[in-house]
Amino acid sequence: MNTIPIRHKWEPYVWLLPSILLMSIFVVFPIGIVFKLSMSEISKAGVVGAWNNFANFRAAFRDPAFGTVMQNTAVWVVSVVGLSTLLGFVTAMALNAEFRGRRVARSIVVFPWATSLVIQASVWNYIIKGEYGNLNNVLLNLGIIKSAVNWRATYQIEFAWECGVGIFVTIPFVAFTVLAGLQSIDNAYYEAATVDGAGFWRKLWNVTIPLVKPSLTVCTVLNIIYVFNSFPIIYTITKGAPANKTDTMVTLLYMRAFYDNQKGPATAMSVIGFAILCVCAGVYMMVTMRKEEQ
Amino acid sequence: MKRMLALALAMLLALGCCAAFAEAEPITLNVIIAQYGPNTENWFLGNGMDGTNFVAKFEEANPDIKLNLEVVSWNDLDTVVSTRISNNSAPDILNNDNFSEYVVDGLLLPVSDYCTDELFADFFPSFIEQSIMDDVCWAVPDLASARALYVNTDILAEVGIEVPTTWAELEDACQAIVDFYNGDVYPWGIDMTTDEGQAAFSYYVWNNDGGFLDADGNLVVNSDKNVEAIEYAIGLYNKGFTNPNPATQTRYDLQDMFGAGKLAMIIAPNQLPSYLKDKSYEVNFATAALPVNEGAAPGATGVMDRIMAFKNDAYPDQAARNEAIGKFLSFFYAPENYVGWVSMEGFLPAVNSSVAALVESDPSFQAWLDVLDSCKFYPTANPKWDVARQGVIEVEQQALTGGDVKALLDDLQAKIDG
Amino acid sequence: MRLNTPEAVLRVNRRALIAALLAAALCLVAVSLPIWEFSVTVFARKSGNTFVGDEKYQAVKAEVEAEAARYSEETGAVTQLFENVTERTNSKGEKTSMVAFEVRQAMRRTGWDFVRSPLASGRILLALILCLLAAAVLLGAGMMGAMDTDWPELDLRKRGMRMGAAGLGLVALLLVPVFMMSCNLAFTRWIKLASDGMPRPGTEALLHTLDGFLYGGTAGDKVLELMGGVRHGPLWPLLATLPLLVGFGLCAVVCADGDPRHTLARALLIAFVVVLCVVILYPYYVMVITGFRSNAETTDMYFQHMFPTKWVWGNLKDIIDRGVLRYLLNSLLLSVGATAIALLCGIPAAYAMARMHFAGRKVFLGFVIMSQMFSPVVLLVGISRLMNTLHLNDSLLGLIFINAAFNQAFAIWLLRGTFVSISSEMEQAACIDGCSTVSAMLRVLLPIAAPGIVTTLIFVFINAWNEYTISTVLISTTSNKPITVGITQFSSFNMIEWQYLFAAALLATVPVVILFMCIEKHLAAGLTAGGVKG
Repeated sequence: MNTIPIRHKWEPYVWLLPSILLMSIFVVFPIGIVFKLSMSEISKAGVVGAWNNFANFRAAFRDPAFGTVMQNTAVWVVSVVGLSTLLGFVTAMALNAEFRGRRVARSIVVFPWATSLVIQASVWNYIIKGEYGNLNNVLLNLGIIKSAVNWRATYQIEFAWECGVGIFVTIPFVAFTVLAGLQSIDNAYYEAATVDGAGFWRKLWNVTIPLVKPSLTVCTVLNIIYVFNSFPIIYTITKGAPANKTDTMVTLLYMRAFYDNQKGPATAMSVIGFAILCVCAGVYMMVTMRKEEQ
Repeated sequence: MKRMLALALAMLLALGCCAAFAEAEPITLNVIIAQYGPNTENWFLGNGMDGTNFVAKFEEANPDIKLNLEVVSWNDLDTVVSTRISNNSAPDILNNDNFSEYVVDGLLLPVSDYCTDELFADFFPSFIEQSIMDDVCWAVPDLASARALYVNTDILAEVGIEVPTTWAELEDACQAIVDFYNGDVYPWGIDMTTDEGQAAFSYYVWNNDGGFLDADGNLVVNSDKNVEAIEYAIGLYNKGFTNPNPATQTRYDLQDMFGAGKLAMIIAPNQLPSYLKDKSYEVNFATAALPVNEGAAPGATGVMDRIMAFKNDAYPDQAARNEAIGKFLSFFYAPENYVGWVSMEGFLPAVNSSVAALVESDPSFQAWLDVLDSCKFYPTANPKWDVARQGVIEVEQQALTGGDVKALLDDLQAKIDG
Repeated sequence: MRLNTPEAVLRVNRRALIAALLAAALCLVAVSLPIWEFSVTVFARKSGNTFVGDEKYQAVKAEVEAEAARYSEETGAVTQLFENVTERTNSKGEKTSMVAFEVRQAMRRTGWDFVRSPLASGRILLALILCLLAAAVLLGAGMMGAMDTDWPELDLRKRGMRMGAAGLGLVALLLVPVFMMSCNLAFTRWIKLASDGMPRPGTEALLHTLDGFLYGGTAGDKVLELMGGVRHGPLWPLLATLPLLVGFGLCAVVCADGDPRHTLARALLIAFVVVLCVVILYPYYVMVITGFRSNAETTDMYFQHMFPTKWVWGNLKDIIDRGVLRYLLNSLLLSVGATAIALLCGIPAAYAMARMHFAGRKVFLGFVIMSQMFSPVVLLVGISRLMNTLHLNDSLLGLIFINAAFNQAFAIWLLRGTFVSISSEMEQAACIDGCSTVSAMLRVLLPIAAPGIVTTLIFVFINAWNEYTISTVLISTTSNKPITVGITQFSSFNMIEWQYLFAAALLATVPVVILFMCIEKHLAAGLTAGGVKG
């Protein structure tokens, strides 16, 4: 293993200290407060009261929108993480190939990352407006469609748009992580595979995927967390309308806290979300890491 | 690395000390103002007030008071305020539409503690009534707006119909417009978005002798009249008479459609003409009363926002603080400042002293002031108003996707009572 | 690949050549067919409150029939009269009825009619035909005298000719949708705008051309009215040329290369990259063209212009007057500060994780990941209370710490990967030479790990630059707002000012994009390290 000798047993912990301090103060402490709040009575205006025997959690589970929203959250996380991983992978493969203008293409792919989610969401919200949105404008003026189309005819379609924007902004992250993995693969592997007579798909399956898997693992865990917690896209485009049918867990709890004045249940929901994430990300990491060790 | 850490900690400490010391000096009032339009921030903090700004003018007139004034967008207002309240750092003065939840928690100062009698007498009495809970006035109105029906006269003339005055006539008019334009023009605008769906609710129930309150002043939303009214509104949507996405098409979208001649009739606030002018739409329109259900009494909708002051028990000199808040209000409502504030975004005033000047500058104001007299307002003084407000929006949105209005309103009523 | 006998090569080449020429010929046939059906509403009249058979109906019908007769007489065209009655019972129980009359005329045109007319779509069709002919000639020339030469032995000129034929085939293929788009524009879009009272420059000339094309110049002043009712029918024979053209191109590739798979894969790759780039750049195009429009044009419901009629650069000045530069500066301070702190804390932690064996490594890793599991939205109350306690409310410094902390997981993950991928031999040597661990890291490791560090720096910078929710709540003084919060002032209670919103959004995006472009090379290198050993 690639280690250096340690002089004192406590030395590593000193190295970790600044990071631990920073996170403890600015992340763990607020998390603690949220845990405490989730078990306290909170008034409509936001005044924090006494411990209320998990009434917030009961209220959260009884929330009429809870079922729909859990379903939406699952669709949202699975489709955004899944499709952006797939498309990001394809993009990385394409950007790894030799062609003229590759550097320009790489710079362009990074764009969505460099723009804040609030801005991205506003732009897409504007683009898909049926009455004056830019998508209709471009398609009409290029002669591709004959009359303006209502791009958000039903809430299912609106939710699909939201997922689409989510995928759009996540692709660069995956693409660059995979691209990095691809670049580090030794060409000798491919040459050996070619000698063995492997075709494109065999090489992809037997060489490329196993070798970029480690970089994908952590990237996917972080992605699941970021996407689960993603808030501006849905909030900007539909605000969960109609009647929470396009909400995910995070936007629902925001609406509950700040629109419906149910601050206690909203905090409980965030703790529930935390638990779900812990389980999902934990299981995912355990499974993938165990496989790696084998 | 350790040195770096020590430095960071030292920095933290030093900052903490600075902040602790800074508090003892002249009175600082933290003020949160809602952002009404493109000019709000400029008026308070930029140079939108004849080359200077409100805060500078105020601080010049009252050197012993410092204003820490912040303009927050409506989108973020509740988030910002409630987060501050949770952390015991409520603002001193707040501009918002709701106030009852703050009263319930005992966070507000009664208006009589800080507002001068002279100023208090200046407010329209019907407005002040809307801010009274348990016989105490907790907030003062900062401005109001009234809603009316706007119709595109060109479209109506081309189709050959009159301005509808009843719901039945409205349906006929919508059908005629749909037939004539083959769907190119939406007859009727409905905004049931999460931001303002309660307005749509009031447009229909108040014109069907329904409402939010029963005879005893209790919140009752599931009366038969209300059910009928909302079923009618949803019926308009289901028959294809309205804009296609009432749950996500906001007032801006509708106003733009109206301006572009894509929407024939719309219920909108009195600022619509100036909006259309700002965006250089050329559309011929007329205003009219909202259509009513046959036999029902008409009910115009008015909306009012408020200014309120929060308690701060930790402050050493309460009297001085109250006086400072009073000075802020008196300065704000003085005609030389207030007229500019109200007319800047085309709102309607809340105090008598500015009426003369406003009518003089724009005679059409008088008509709106008359409408305002007959307006009904949301029952904001009811402590459960917020539940009803979000509840009716959700009911509308559920109904748009096929829910049963009666059952939904019954559920909501159970939630309000429970 | 190598085919053995000249006979086999000859057989394949002959087949491909015949197929290609056949495809080209069929395309020409399709173009020559009278496939463009136009149905024109010559005259339309709607009459409200009219019942079938009543006086008003008779009067209107007589008027319509006279119109139809007059038109037939003037142009010699056959017309048909359609009548549509909408009957309803209104709320008062009265019957209402609306009658709509339409006089229609149908006509057909061939591709050659288009080519002869001065329509833009005619020129496109001409170009398509010329491309196809040139491709066929080129393919023939490339074949001449070398029908039985195996591909590896083919001389470069012949191979170039055959590839050129394929390329021209591709151009012809792309011209088909362009032609259809151009038809849509001329026959539907611009006419619709003109009849809605919003003619664009050149509409007059277009109408004149269409008059000549469809009515033989007889329509005159009425042409706009007539064109308002034009519908063109299905174009399936034209769509049939698409597979023909694909087939032609493929045959040409087969003749040049034997195995077309490589060329196809290449084309697919380029197509994918082009589509990807177009999709990604699209929102930025929207930002640019909307950011510099006038307020009225941002919500133009008739979609009159793809680009602003007048570029309003004054928008930039307006948003700067409303404090955007100040917000940008705040964002810059915030991001730089957060990045610095995140790296200062992250580098040692990542170093320990990469280089040292100690109990609790996994615990720390779990701790880091867990710390990311709450959305900042959720933590608002907690963070705000913390900031009150630390007296960091409403200060950039507070935001800097928060952003640094929320980016620790990412930073540590990337940095650790970088460090692990670098051999520790040199550090070990340095340690034996008496260097302390700290100086071994500073002098030996960090210079080598620079690309990875730069990458981390960029990521944290961007995350901090884009943070919105926490800043909204924490910052109350206007002069302390970062750009993401500052731009919310452009969507207020009374109006959304799209043009300012997007102009400001552009200003907020450009610095990051420039930063990214400068550093793109390092990025991939740094991620290599970060990713693989993650």
